[in-house]
Amino acid sequence: MKKLLILIAISLLAIPFIRAEEKKLNILTTTPDLKSITEEIGGKYVNVTSICLGNQDPHFVEAKPSIIAYARKADLFIVIGLELEVGYEALIIEGSRNTKIKPGTDGYLDVSEGVLLLEVPTCKIDRSMGDVHPYGNPHYWLDPYNIRIIAQNISNRLQKIDSAHPAEYQTNYQTFVKKIDEAMFGVQALAKVDGDKLWEMELSGKLEEFIKEHQLQLDGWKRKVQSLRGMKIAIFHRSWSYFTNRFGLVVGGEVEPKPGIPPGPRHLKDLIKKIKLENVKVILMEPFYDRKSSDFVADKTSAKVVVSPISVGGEPAVKDYISFIDTLTNRLLEAITIK
Amino acid sequence: MKYIIILFILLLPLLALPADDDNQFSLIPQNISQTSAGRYFQSFNPDISLIVDTFYHRDSSREGIAHIFEEVSGFGHVCTSKNHHHGPDKGFNMNHMELYFSANADPYFKGWGIAAVEEEGAEMEEAVIQTTALPYGLQVKVGKFFSDIGRINPQHSHSWDFTDQPLIYRLTFGPHGLNDKGAQLSWLLPTNFYMFAGVETFQGNNEAMFNYIGDESGLPIKSGPRIFTSWLKFAPNIDNPNHALQFGLSYGRGLHQEEHDGNADGEMDHWLNGYTKFCGVDFVYKYDDLRAYGVGDINLQGEYFRREKDLTIKNHDLKPTLIGKHKQENQDGYYLQATYGFLERWRLGVRWEQIGLINKIDLPNGTSKSPDGSNRLSVMTDWTLTEFSRLRIQCARGNYELDGKDKKVTEFYIQLQISLGEHGAHKF
Repeated sequence: MKKLLILIAISLLAIPFIRAEEKKLNILTTTPDLKSITEEIGGKYVNVTSICLGNQDPHFVEAKPSIIAYARKADLFIVIGLELEVGYEALIIEGSRNTKIKPGTDGYLDVSEGVLLLEVPTCKIDRSMGDVHPYGNPHYWLDPYNIRIIAQNISNRLQKIDSAHPAEYQTNYQTFVKKIDEAMFGVQALAKVDGDKLWEMELSGKLEEFIKEHQLQLDGWKRKVQSLRGMKIAIFHRSWSYFTNRFGLVVGGEVEPKPGIPPGPRHLKDLIKKIKLENVKVILMEPFYDRKSSDFVADKTSAKVVVSPISVGGEPAVKDYISFIDTLTNRLLEAITIK
Repeated sequence: MKYIIILFILLLPLLALPADDDNQFSLIPQNISQTSAGRYFQSFNPDISLIVDTFYHRDSSREGIAHIFEEVSGFGHVCTSKNHHHGPDKGFNMNHMELYFSANADPYFKGWGIAAVEEEGAEMEEAVIQTTALPYGLQVKVGKFFSDIGRINPQHSHSWDFTDQPLIYRLTFGPHGLNDKGAQLSWLLPTNFYMFAGVETFQGNNEAMFNYIGDESGLPIKSGPRIFTSWLKFAPNIDNPNHALQFGLSYGRGLHQEEHDGNADGEMDHWLNGYTKFCGVDFVYKYDDLRAYGVGDINLQGEYFRREKDLTIKNHDLKPTLIGKHKQENQDGYYLQATYGFLERWRLGVRWEQIGLINKIDLPNGTSKSPDGSNRLSVMTDWTLTEFSRLRIQCARGNYELDGKDKKVTEFYIQLQISLGEHGAHKF
């Protein structure tokens, strides 16, 4: 008994030393996209773990004991918000007993603040409509514009909670945003015009005029997907709304009859009709859903099934946000060029 | 049998549920809006939810499975006082309607209340005040609540993988499990892997295992708390995202009193006082195939409990010579269950249970007996249409040892449950 007490006393004494050694911020994110961005901005000052993997459905993740153990020592918990994580967020925060990461504190960051939102319900919703999200579609990270805002939210918060390295975070943030802007509009355009200005034009729909007026050379995703503009596609789940909205694709059908509800035969029959009628070329789907329904529809129509990750890490080659959007756009382009 | 067929026919239209594919979702406009700080609907109302859980039950015994349970050798005949009837009845049954309220009270406390509403009235299933701001991973919970011992005990019945309780729970802790007024201190240890420990103390009102009669026929008066329990749960870190594993250990000890009607004349004639001890181990393993709607997912779960009763005869109207003599009982039991997602939203489950592997009763007259054990095999299939509704069919075949007689009973359940409102997610 005495020995045990001494042992406990020694281990208690050791706690402050263990803490002193660890200078890095421990950060827990819900999705791998948030992890990737946080690592780019936090650099060597952060340790980041993501709850959800790139090939997992971010709606349904279990609050595993190992995640709770990690959350106990987290300095910051970053979430997508808009009830995407409603099934596990509270279990992790409460289960970890970590008062630092409670909502409302500096250790909790909902990066949806200020993002451009789609599909915000304007009528009364209830669960007979499937998995509808009362604050809007939560898959907003598929719009590169929102990635800039997410990065800004993360950078601001890191600067606030770690006052030792604000300049580094700011620099990393600017580098990251520049990378995204270059990937979006091309290096040459960015060399002549500020990224913010280009986005302002993009959001107001005046980008083309602006490009002509200033004799810029548009490159990047914006040019790459020009051939896809106006193309009709069918989607499995509404994970793609932000992507189609940004790049001008038109959703002409959904494999799910309602969000979160797998299709039945009647719906697939209607979908086949719709795809034929609207000349839909591609059925775009997430990697975690069963291909069976999409393949069935593709078989009966001329549409092709395209499977793409919806997150960083969804496939081994998809290591960051830029390679993620590259992969997604490449898959779509391949599908329409290869007959 | 013909009624079951009729019931099946009545429920048959349920299978057509997915055929309803009206695209109501298009009611929701695809508009664009910039978010602002105030976009969350703000209110101080608690989360409110309601679980409606109904099932149809049949079994092959004449008297009903609930009566069989009361006769199982070594586990039955525990206490005849305040004995209110517990099902299932043959035919339609309602599991209690669970009405749940939960909210943070202030920066320091969170509270929740669960009313178990039954046809005859409501019971307080849980009423809890829990700290939210203690340092070092500590938490204190007081009120009335389910003990965190074991795996199934803290879970509410609607989140179980089978319709009914495992035998070892039903026949040791009773139909409500270990649920009592008391206090709990728990600690999430600062280890790199998950390690969670707790101690609890309860008033001591559990009909089956920690019964208190009090001031009667030589029984001592003992104020609460009369039960002490402790538990430890730990989970190794597994890097592979497909797997998760957790183990648990539980221990408890508490005062136990019994009164019996030895000559069955309707009057109690001997009274015993002493204590019950139990210890248990449990594990759960989950395989997540990372596919939508639970396809390919596997859950394995098992629990083993052993309990010891050590009682002294305090008064005996028929055989006064036995006063002061001991009665000791030693029993155990386990269940092992597995579920597998064989189709989108469909699971198949098997549960094997045994009780009384150890079943030793040392009687006050110096003799002892070791009745045989009992066992049961259950098979279920359930269809989780969404997170908020589930349909389940379950069949079971049990061999029960009833005072030297072997009784075989087949059970059958059809269960339908829905969950309304804001109901917190279920723990791992």
